[in-house]
Amino acid sequence: MKEKKLDLRIEAIDRRAAILIRVNGRPIDATPGETVLAALTAAGFKTLKKSNVRGEARGPFCGMGVCYECLVTINGIPKQRSCMVEVAENMEITVHEPDPG
Amino acid sequence: MNRIQVEVLIIGNGFAGIVAANRLAAAGMDVVLLDENIHIGGQLLRRIPAQLGAAKVYHPDYVKKIGNRFIAALKEKKITILNRARVLGIYPGHEVLIEENEKKVRTLTAQRIIMATGAREKFLPFPGWTKPGVLSSGAVQVLIKSSGVLPARDLVIAGSGVFLYSVAYECLKAGAHVRAVLEQSRLVDKLPLAWQLLHQLPKLTEGTRFISKLLLSAVPLHFRTRIIEARGNGALEQVVSAPVDLSGKTINGREKTYRTPLLAVGYGFSANIELAQMAGCQSEYMAERGGWVVQTDSHLETSLPDIYAAGEITGIAGALKSICEGNIAALAILGRQGRMATADYEAEMAKLLRERHHHLQFGNYFNSLYSIPAAAYLDIPDDTLVCRCEDVSMGDIKKAVANGYDTPATLKIALRSAMGDCQGRVCGPALYDILAALTGRSQAAMTPLVVRPPIKPVRIDSLASFMD
Repeated sequence: MKEKKLDLRIEAIDRRAAILIRVNGRPIDATPGETVLAALTAAGFKTLKKSNVRGEARGPFCGMGVCYECLVTINGIPKQRSCMVEVAENMEITVHEPDPG
Repeated sequence: MNRIQVEVLIIGNGFAGIVAANRLAAAGMDVVLLDENIHIGGQLLRRIPAQLGAAKVYHPDYVKKIGNRFIAALKEKKITILNRARVLGIYPGHEVLIEENEKKVRTLTAQRIIMATGAREKFLPFPGWTKPGVLSSGAVQVLIKSSGVLPARDLVIAGSGVFLYSVAYECLKAGAHVRAVLEQSRLVDKLPLAWQLLHQLPKLTEGTRFISKLLLSAVPLHFRTRIIEARGNGALEQVVSAPVDLSGKTINGREKTYRTPLLAVGYGFSANIELAQMAGCQSEYMAERGGWVVQTDSHLETSLPDIYAAGEITGIAGALKSICEGNIAALAILGRQGRMATADYEAEMAKLLRERHHHLQFGNYFNSLYSIPAAAYLDIPDDTLVCRCEDVSMGDIKKAVANGYDTPATLKIALRSAMGDCQGRVCGPALYDILAALTGRSQAAMTPLVVRPPIKPVRIDSLASFMD
């Protein structure tokens, strides 16, 4: 177990508020206005889906809605581009990765 | 069914789109400006949303200041701005199928359309580029600029093009440790063309700012160096680089390994021409413009009447060209409408066309400097994936080409390459380049892939909303 929770948010930004989202059932900190991808990335999630044919681990790649590599399930709706959706309080997200802890 | 008529539909709210929208709305035209993204401003004007918080230090450069002014000006005009809205299809009579918020689909009929769909990053596939932890250089910048998040505290940046320095600069400012910037090209390689830069002094100043920050931070810059492999058990752990010879081939035996959890990689940009292609606009291959672009006349009208193209989709050359072209397209529409005195129209158009010429020359310089050599594609090992969506490898492509499937269309049928979720947006430019490298044929002689609606994956219940 790590002592400190991993958070890759940049300190040079004053964040107005904090909300909780759930990723694979685990509560994760998020900031209103950031994308689902940003919240997942800040918490250390790297693998988000499996590739279609070979089932290889894949993570975000283009970051701007082009590549479809950051697809996750959001509130029960599968195959959402996490880079194109903003977080919302109590959002339920499912990703393929083993929890980064 | 919800049907609307508009005078001008502008697709894409980056520089070209916001400039054209401002101009046309100021002249009293009825404008709809739509974009798939959450916030207005395209890729370049991304910034921390007010709702998220405030950056303690925010110093927009002069181009971004211009852009931010255009966005502020738009808010005072009577104009319909649709964010998170996608065009799924464009049909005869300028009937446009639009999806809003990934939920609701409706049609809109536009008397005129300005396509300002911008560009995306281009890539040279290498073994392991599909590993989690290998991100596009744009993705790293987007995460920093739009959400204030770093994908990792240290990284290697590699590929080609001035954009890499801008990403390195943002990473350093965000407190990341940049282990190295690896550039496959070398600035002096195209020195004979450098005179074309003289008209773009402000841009050079900005580039100098990025590079001095890198030098001050003692970030190693290696030229003629390319990533040849990304390794890791699961996610990325190591990247391997190798020097590149004058022909663009990698040199064996001088590899260098970096331990890093993050690789930001990008090889310049490719125009987003798919929507224009789907509408039926002609496209053409122009290496000096950065590859496949939408064909236009000098006033930016495409091969289809009343459909214009502005910004990166007519040639990769940066924000100043996009601003200039947003103005040209708007002016062309106003001129044809008779909404301007002929003398004013002609004087301004002549001035804009001169400016555009300089911007194109500037783009020409960088597009030639940073083009990916054919030898680099021929160096891709057989087991490397090229099409990430359908897991198609370089070996699969070589075999298919050897069996006669040697055009973009036949290759797609043989391998499903460019048929997955991204519809060839990631691998497409590389596929054309690989085909050209393998067959020795010029891309200019190739027939581009046919683009059909829906242009991006769409949920069936979204389409169902259209029938309600």
